[in-house]
Amino acid sequence: MTAPRRLRKELVDLQESSLKSFRDIKADDDNLLRWTGLIVPDNPPYNKGAFRIEINFPAEYPFKPPKISFKTKIYHPNIDEKGQVCLPIISTENWKPATRTDQVVQALIALINDPEPEHPLRAELAEEFLKDKKKFVKNAEDYTRKHSEKRPAD
Amino acid sequence: MADGNVQAAGAAASRAGNGALDAPQTVNNSAGNPNQPGTSAAPAAAGSSSSISASGSASGSGSGSSNGNSNQGYYQLSVTIEEASLRNNGFLKPNPYVELLIDSKSKRKTDLVKNSYLPKWNEEFTVLITPNSTLHFKVLDHSSFRKDAMLGERVIQLAHILHHYNGRCEYLELTIDLFVTSKSDNRQTKSGELVAILNGLKLDMSKVVQLQQNGTAVQAVNTAVSDAAAAGRSCMIYGGVRARMRLRSSNAEPPAATRSPQSNGISSEQRRSAAPPVWEQQQQQVAQPQQPLRLANGTAAAVPQTAPYPQQPPAPVPAQQRPLTQAPVYANGPMENGAQGTYMLSGTPDQPACGTGIPVSNGSDPQLQTQPAEDELLPAGWEIRLDQYGRRYYVDHNTRSTYWEKPTPLPPGWEIRKDVRGRVYYVDHNTRKTTWQRPNSERLMHFQHWQGQRAHVVAQGNQRFLYSQQQQQPTAVTAPVTQDDEDALGPLPDGWEKKVQSDNRVYFVNHKNRTTQWEDPRTQGQEVSLINEGPLPPGWEIRYTAAGERFFVDHNTRRTTFEDPRPGAPKGAKGVYGVPRAYERSFRWKLSQFRYLCQSNALPSHIKITVTRQTLFEDSYHQIMRLPAYELRRRLYIIFRGEEGLDYGGVSREWFFLLSHEVLNPMYCLFEYANKNNYSLQINPASYVNPDHLQYFKFIGRFIAMALYHGRFIYSGFTMPFYKRMLNKKLTIKDIETIDPEFYNSLIWVRDNNIDECGLELWFSVDFEVLGQIIHHELKENGEKERVTEENKEEYITLMTEWRMTRGIEQQTKTFLEGFNEVVPLEWLKYFDERELELILCGMQDVDVEDWQRNTIYRHYNRNSKQVVWFWQFVRETDNEKRARLLQFVTGTCRVPVGGFAELMGSNGPQRFCIEKVGKETWLPRSHTCFNRLDLPPYKSYDQLVEKLTFAIEETEGFCQE
Repeated sequence: MTAPRRLRKELVDLQESSLKSFRDIKADDDNLLRWTGLIVPDNPPYNKGAFRIEINFPAEYPFKPPKISFKTKIYHPNIDEKGQVCLPIISTENWKPATRTDQVVQALIALINDPEPEHPLRAELAEEFLKDKKKFVKNAEDYTRKHSEKRPAD
Repeated sequence: MADGNVQAAGAAASRAGNGALDAPQTVNNSAGNPNQPGTSAAPAAAGSSSSISASGSASGSGSGSSNGNSNQGYYQLSVTIEEASLRNNGFLKPNPYVELLIDSKSKRKTDLVKNSYLPKWNEEFTVLITPNSTLHFKVLDHSSFRKDAMLGERVIQLAHILHHYNGRCEYLELTIDLFVTSKSDNRQTKSGELVAILNGLKLDMSKVVQLQQNGTAVQAVNTAVSDAAAAGRSCMIYGGVRARMRLRSSNAEPPAATRSPQSNGISSEQRRSAAPPVWEQQQQQVAQPQQPLRLANGTAAAVPQTAPYPQQPPAPVPAQQRPLTQAPVYANGPMENGAQGTYMLSGTPDQPACGTGIPVSNGSDPQLQTQPAEDELLPAGWEIRLDQYGRRYYVDHNTRSTYWEKPTPLPPGWEIRKDVRGRVYYVDHNTRKTTWQRPNSERLMHFQHWQGQRAHVVAQGNQRFLYSQQQQQPTAVTAPVTQDDEDALGPLPDGWEKKVQSDNRVYFVNHKNRTTQWEDPRTQGQEVSLINEGPLPPGWEIRYTAAGERFFVDHNTRRTTFEDPRPGAPKGAKGVYGVPRAYERSFRWKLSQFRYLCQSNALPSHIKITVTRQTLFEDSYHQIMRLPAYELRRRLYIIFRGEEGLDYGGVSREWFFLLSHEVLNPMYCLFEYANKNNYSLQINPASYVNPDHLQYFKFIGRFIAMALYHGRFIYSGFTMPFYKRMLNKKLTIKDIETIDPEFYNSLIWVRDNNIDECGLELWFSVDFEVLGQIIHHELKENGEKERVTEENKEEYITLMTEWRMTRGIEQQTKTFLEGFNEVVPLEWLKYFDERELELILCGMQDVDVEDWQRNTIYRHYNRNSKQVVWFWQFVRETDNEKRARLLQFVTGTCRVPVGGFAELMGSNGPQRFCIEKVGKETWLPRSHTCFNRLDLPPYKSYDQLVEKLTFAIEETEGFCQE
C-alpha cells in the first residue's frame, strides 16, 4: 500500500500548509489516487479567477509520476484545450520518487503565473503572447472572466 | 491485505480522471475468442439492415422477386468503373481488371492494372439496360499462365437502386462490397470494394412500378430516400452496396433537396457545402443501418443520423434478433430475396420471413428525429449518471463498469453480443472476428497499425536468413559423462532419464516429449569441463562405431581413421564441448549443435495442417492443440484452403510468418508491444479478459517451439527479458529498463540516493493496476509493515525487480514455456544467449549500412570524428551476424523497421540511432536500448575500437551493462 500511505501523508501536509494559491484540496472519498484543488493565481491576467485542477496518481506512485489536468478552461500557452498541461517536473525524464506533490503544485502555479511561450502546448497563444502581449492579456482576461471559478473570499 | 489480493479501485469512475490524460481503460487491447459462437456466421450482418429507418418511413414492396424481362423497354446507362480496393492476401500483387455483365451477357472489360491492390481504371461503358436488369461486376486477376482468378464479384439488382433514387441515376456513386466464394465450403468472404458510377439514366418510375406485381407504397419511400440521398449522403441500398449522389454539377441536384428533413435544423444546402470528403461520408453511411438505438430499458429510441463525423455513429442494434439470412450474400436467387426483404419490409406478406426480427421502429421516428443533435448517443445498455460534483459519468450495464469518457459508439461493422453464459462480447463483421473488449479508437488504432504491417509480413519473410543448410553440418562432438560429474550435478530434470547403450555409451531420454540426446541436459550449453580437443580440420567429421568407439571421417579424401587428425594438444581455453571457447562462442557452432539435436530427434512421416487464411489463428490453434506435442516434430505439410499446392517449404514458411503476426493481433489481447517500442512483444497482463488465455499461451508456446525446431522464422520477436526467461536466466534491474524505463529510473534513483531523509514512504508492498483494478502485492511476509530504509533497500530493489518482471504474467509465461517444452526441450536452448535466441527465431536480414549511417546522430562527436569514422569502417567490414548483434546491443533487437532506420523507435517515440562520446578509452562501450544510444569511449585506434566493441557485443552481460 505504498501509494495510499504516502498520499495520505502528502495530502494532510498539503492541506495543513494552507497555501494561498492552492486551496480546497481534497481526495475523492473512495479513491485516494484522485485529488482536486483550486489554483488561485496572483499574476494578471489570471488573477481575476480561480482554476480547478485534478491530480491523478498512478497505482505505482511514487515510482511513476502523477498527471495533472485543468477542469476549468484557461487561456494559457502551456495548457491545451483539453486541460492537459506539460510540466517538466513530472515528465518521464525528470521524475524522481522523492518529488512531492507540493513541489509539483508549486511548479504548476509558477507556470500559470509566468507562461513559458518557448515550450508551448498551444502555439497560437504562445505566438500571440510573444508578438502582441496586450492582445494576449486582454483575451486571457476576457476568457478568465467568462470561464473561471470565483476566487475564495479571503 | 493478503498477497495478491485483488481490490477494485473504487468505482472506476472515481479514479479515472480526465480522459485525455489518463483513460480509465488502461489496457488497450482486447481479446479475441475464436470459440465464440457466431464468429463465422453472418458476415457483415450489420450492413444488411435497413436504411429505411433512417428516412423515417417503412414501406415498399418487393420487385426483385418479380424481375425478369417483363420490361421490354431498353435504356442507356453509363457505368464508370472507377477503382477498387482489394484485400491483400498473397505473395504476389494481382493484375486486376473488371468484367461487367448485364443480365449475364454483353460482357464489358476494363484494361488490367498491373501489380496493385488499389487499382484505378476510370473506364466508362455505355450499356443497355431494363429497369430490372442485373449488373454483374467481377474483378479478376489476369495471369498469363493460368486461368484468371476471381478476386471478387457482386451482382446488383438495378431495380433496387432505381427505387431508391426514384428512377434517377445521375453521378450515382456505388460502393460495392465484393465477395469470393470458397470452393471447399462455399463460404463467402468479403474480398474488397469496388467503386462505380452510374450516370445518365432517368426513368419515370410510375411506369416501372405499374409493371410490378406488388406495387404498393413504393413511391412514398422513394421520395424519402431520395431526399436523404440528395443531401449528399449515401444510402445503404442493401447489404454491402452503398450509394450516394456525387455533387459535381448543380443541375444534377434533385428538386427534392430542399425538403430534406434534417433533424438538426441544418438545411441540406448547408450540409452539402460542408460535406465531408467521400471517405467520411462512406464511414458515416456504413453506420446508418445500425439504427435504431436501443437503450437499456428497452425503449427503442431512434436517433437521427446527424453525426457529422464518422466517430459518432449511433450504437448497434442487439444482434440476436437479426436473422442470418440477411447476411449480404448476394450471389444466388433465394438470398437475393432475403436481402431485399430487409429493406422492403411491409406490404409483402408473401416474402420470406426474414425481415421479421429487425427492430425497425419507424412509426415513431419522425418525432424522435427532432431530438437535438447534441443529445448523448449512448450505446445499448449504457446510462449517464452524475456524481456528487455534478460531473457526468457513464455506466455500462453490459459489463458493469463505469467510465468518465463518453463511450465511443461501436465503429462501423461492429456489434455487441452476449454468449450463452451472458458475457458480453463484440463482433467485428469487417474481419469476422470477435473480441471481449469494447473497441475504442485507440484500440482500433493499434489494430490498424498491426493490420498495416500485414503487407510487409510476407515480404519480410523472404528477406530473413541465417546460415545456409550446408554450413550447418552437425559436428557431433560429445562429452562423455562420468559418474563423478553426475553426483556433482544433482538429479536430472523432471521427465529425463539417463541410459546406457549396449556399447556403454551414455545417452539421455526425455520421456516428456520423447526425445533422446547424447548430451546431459544439466550441462547443455554450459562450461563444466575441459577436454583436450580442438576443431577438426576442414572436411573432417567425428563419428562413432557401433561399439561406441570414436573415429574420424575425412570427406576430402573419403577415408576414415581412428587417429585424431588434430596436431598435438591445442592451446587456448576449451569449453565443455572440447572446442576452443572462441569457437564455441560462435553462433554457427551453437546453431549446428541445436540443429543436430533437432535432426536426430526427427520423426518419420508428416503432419498436415489445413488452414483458411481468414481464420488462420483459429484453424491453426485447433489443429496444433489437437495433436500430441511430439507429433509437431514431424515434417510439416501446410495447406491454405483454396490454394492447394505442394508444400516444399515455401508454404510453411509463409504460415509461420503469417501466424506469428496473427498471434500478436492486439485484439487478441495476448501480447502487447513493450514500452511503445513497436518491435518487441511481451505478455499482456490483461490477457485474462480472454477466459481461455492460458490455452492460447500453451498453443503459442508450441508454435514458437515449432518455428525453432523446423528452422522457420517468425515475424516479430519478444523482449530480451522474455528470451532470458525462456533460458531460465535471472532477470536483473537492467532488464526493467527495456520494458519500463520510468519505473527503472525511479528504482535506480532509490538505489543511488540516500532515501532515509526524503519521506519516500516506501514499504515492502506494492500496487499495480490491470484493467482498472488495483492489484496489491506484498514483497515479503508482513511487508506492509516493514519500511524501506537505507539498510534494507538492496533487498527491496531485488524483490521489486523480480516482481516488476513477473507481475501479472507468471501463469501465462509458465503455460507458454510448458507448451514450448512439449515440442522442444528447453534444455536445448541452453547453447544460446537471449540475443542468439532472437536471431534464430527472427532470422537476420541484410542491413542497409548506408541507410543506417544516414540516419545516425551524434552527441559530443560529429560525423567526421575519428572514432565515428572507425565505427562505420567496422560496421562495413564486419559480417551480417556481427551487425545484427551490434544492433541488438544498441537497439535491443536485431530487426530494422520496415521503413528503414529513419523509423527507429525508442521508448518515447521516434529515436534515431545515436553515438555519444562517453568515458575513457579503457572503458567498454555501453548502450541504452530505450534511446537507441551507443556510448562509445574515445578509443585511440581502430584496432582498439574493434576489440572493445566486439567484446561488448558478444558478451551478453557484465561490463557493458549497469
